[in-house]
Parts: sequence; C-alpha cells; structure tokens
Amino acid sequence: MKFYRILAAVDGGDADKDAIQLACRLAKETKGQVFVVHVIEVKRSLPLNAELDNDAEQGQRILRRALDCANERDCTIETDLLQAREPGPAIVTEIVEKQIDLLLIGMSYRTKFGHFDIGETIPYVLKNAPCRVMILRQPLENDAK
Amino acid sequence: MKVLIMGCSRVGAHLASLLETDGHEVTVLDVDPSGFGKLSHTFRGNALLGDGTDEDSLRRAGIEQMDAFVALTEADNTNIMAAQIAKSVFNVAKVVCRVYDPTREELYRELGLDTVCPTALIAASVKKRL
Amino acid sequence: MYIVIVGAGNVGYHLAKAVLSKGHEVLLIDRDAATLERIEDELGSIGLNGDGCEANVLEEAGTARADLFVAVTDQDADNLVACQIAKHRFKVPRTVARMSDLKNEPLFKKLGVDVTVSSTILILQYIETQTSKPRLLTRLAVLRGSEREMVDVRIPPTAAVVGKKIRDISLPQNSLIILLIRQDERIQLPTSTTTLEAGDRVVVVGDRSSEEGLHQALTGS
Repeated sequence: MKFYRILAAVDGGDADKDAIQLACRLAKETKGQVFVVHVIEVKRSLPLNAELDNDAEQGQRILRRALDCANERDCTIETDLLQAREPGPAIVTEIVEKQIDLLLIGMSYRTKFGHFDIGETIPYVLKNAPCRVMILRQPLENDAK
Repeated sequence: MKVLIMGCSRVGAHLASLLETDGHEVTVLDVDPSGFGKLSHTFRGNALLGDGTDEDSLRRAGIEQMDAFVALTEADNTNIMAAQIAKSVFNVAKVVCRVYDPTREELYRELGLDTVCPTALIAASVKKRL
Repeated sequence: MYIVIVGAGNVGYHLAKAVLSKGHEVLLIDRDAATLERIEDELGSIGLNGDGCEANVLEEAGTARADLFVAVTDQDADNLVACQIAKHRFKVPRTVARMSDLKNEPLFKKLGVDVTVSSTILILQYIETQTSKPRLLTRLAVLRGSEREMVDVRIPPTAAVVGKKIRDISLPQNSLIILLIRQDERIQLPTSTTTLEAGDRVVVVGDRSSEEGLHQALTGS
C-alpha cells in the first residue's frame, strides 16, 4: 500500500509529532507530499470569519512545531491554518480539495469523568473521510497512568 | 379567597389542603386525573381535567372569578405560559409560578412574574445546615 | 444574517435548509442529538444539541449576535419561553414563534414575540379562499389590526357596472377602489371618471363585514 498525498491533522497535543514523523516516513517511500492542517474552532458567539488573533498565533506556533519536526527528518511539508465551527468537517473538506489518500491523526490517551474520551473529531473523520484514515494513539506509559 | 391550582403534584395537593384548612375555596386543574389521587380525602373543592395553558380550559375552571392562580406542573415552560395567561389575559390579582431552572426563574422574576424556584430554595436550605 | 432556529422537526429542518440556500448563517438547536446528526450529515455543522429554552444553551449558540430568532417546536409553551429568553436576555431584534393554538396569538404578541406563525391559519385561509362561493372576489390581505381587507374582484360581462363611471357606482360604506387591472393587463390608478369594462379586475379595500355587499355591487347584474 502506497501513499502519495498524506494529510496530518494536528491540535497542538503531544501526539502531533508521532503523526508527523510517520507521515514523513511514509511519504519518503513514494516521494509523496505531506500536508499538515490545524483547525481553529470558532465559537458560535462569533461569526465564522472573526479575527481571532490569539488562536491564530497559537495555530501558527503549532504549525511551526510541525515544520521543525519535519525538517529534522529532511521532509518538506505544506501547512494550512483553517477556521471552522468544528474540525471534523473542515478536515474532510481539506481531504477532498487536496485529493489526500491518507489522513493521519495522533491522539493521546485522555479520560473525561473517569472514562476514556475519544472526542468528536476522530469519530467524525472515521465516519466521513473518503480516504484511508490512521489514528496513532500514544502508548499508555506516556501519560495515561 | 378563591384559588386555582394548576398541576396536582405533591406540592399542588399539599397546598390545596393547607389552603382549605385556612378556609379558602380551592379548585385543582390537571391534564392527568391520576394526580387527583394525591389530594387529601377531606378535599372538598373541585378537581377538574384541563390544560392550564389553554384559555378555554382556564375559563371553564372559573379563572375569571379567582383571586389567585398557582402554576405547579412539572414543566417550567407550561407553568410560565399559564402564569402569564392568568396575569395578562385574565388579570388574576395574585399569580405564583414554580420554575425549576434557576436562570429561567431569575429572568421571569425580572419580567414581573412572582416565581418560586425549588432548586435554589433546597440548595440554599441544605447549604445553611452544613 | 445570523438566524437561530429552535426545534429541528420538519418545520425547523426545511426552514434551515431554505435559509441556508439564501446564503444566511443558521444554527439549529434541538434536544434530540440523533435528529441533529441526520440533518448535519446533509447540511453541514449547523446543529447544537441542547434545550433552546435554557439560557446557557442560547449563550453557546451566540444568540446575542442573532438577527432573527425562530422557535418552531411543536409545543407552544416552549416556543413562547424560548422567544422571551432570546428577546429579553439576549436582545434579539426579531423573534418568531410557531403556534398551534390560534388563541395564543394575542398573548404571544403581548408578551413580546414579534411574529407568530401558524400552519393552521395558513391552511384555514387557503380553505376559505377555496370553499367560498363561485368566487369572483379573492381576498388578497387582511389589513393588520383593523377590520379591513383588500380584495380582488373580476368584473363579469353581465355585471351592471360595466360601462359605468366609478363615481356612479354605489359601493358599501368605507370601500375604495384602489387599483384597476384592464383585461390586457394594463394597470391604472382609477379616478372618479374611469369607466369600468367587462373583464377588468379591481382591487378594493373595504370592511370585512361588507364583503357580500361589495361582491354584489361589482358583479351583480
């Protein structure tokens, strides 16, 4: 199985670098291309095109970290900062527009009210993304205990 | 005093007893007759089937002759709507309305309804004992 | 425009779809997560799961920046309360409530709901226009807050008024011909000396109670 256009979706968490490293390695095999996207969630109290300076700055930081991580592996990536009500649909739109053949998302082991919590974005992309999807969960030793 | 109680809940039935003991004339209105079983066996007033958010039902229950109207169903919005009908359509002199949601209660108090919020009352009462 | 809709039943769903297609921003609030998910699959992320009568839900919905707030659940009491909270807590300039019980209209208006809509009223109006006598008279509008209405009457060839000047026609009190549409679709502002012809359509404002008399005066032979 070969992947030529890989998208990694990042949220600023610890697991981002796992996804980027793997994306770079898979792309190297095919001399494929790696795209990295971060989605800023816009609350309903603001219009979708509101200028969110703090969030944009943070988003840029997250993407810069992704760039550094890729550079260390001699991999060039293309980054994109999006604004949407929910990340899931924005990521799916990005997959379609960029003709992505693999979506990669890293996640850490999170709990909420004592139960494992997968959030909303991952189930959404698993259900709706047209391409192959890989979820890379961090090993438990890292942060679950 | 003539009092119409909408919602024959535990509170509604208990209030009916208290008012009768004090010599008031009580009518109870509910959409479900099963609630009437909660009324004291000494209850002498009227127990009527009807929807308190419906003007015709209220009229049949004699709201035009009432001195007071109390909204005590389990649904906040039903109570709020019925209380507003009693107040602004039938000009009942005294209207009291139960609202469980504290933020909703606050808003309608500001809008001039006489509201009671069990949630806030119980929380405050428990807190005082701790 | 930003439009918040409470109630994702049939009315809410079709309204959201229609309003989206006009390019407005829409948020649909409903207590049933499964219903919303089905709608979002089709229309995108336009749903918020929660009780549209709760202030914190409306806060999350950004109701404070809404231009229009529409409550179309199947419960009149819920629609009333949702609109009142939107109006008084979030200062939404216009609120619209669906109501099933026609008697509630004056109450809703009095309590601060700007517009009430009722499918019962619409269907009733339709039935009225369909079932009344062989109608040469069509009700165009009932003038708000008055007993007046605007009607449209076609003058049949047999009518006594054909060939008469408007000043010579006796209409019921308070009636006024305000527009004349000739058979060839030419529009005329009538004056007292305008002559009516067979096939003309006249638009008349008059008392609702004198509809019969108006009909008789313009079409009777």
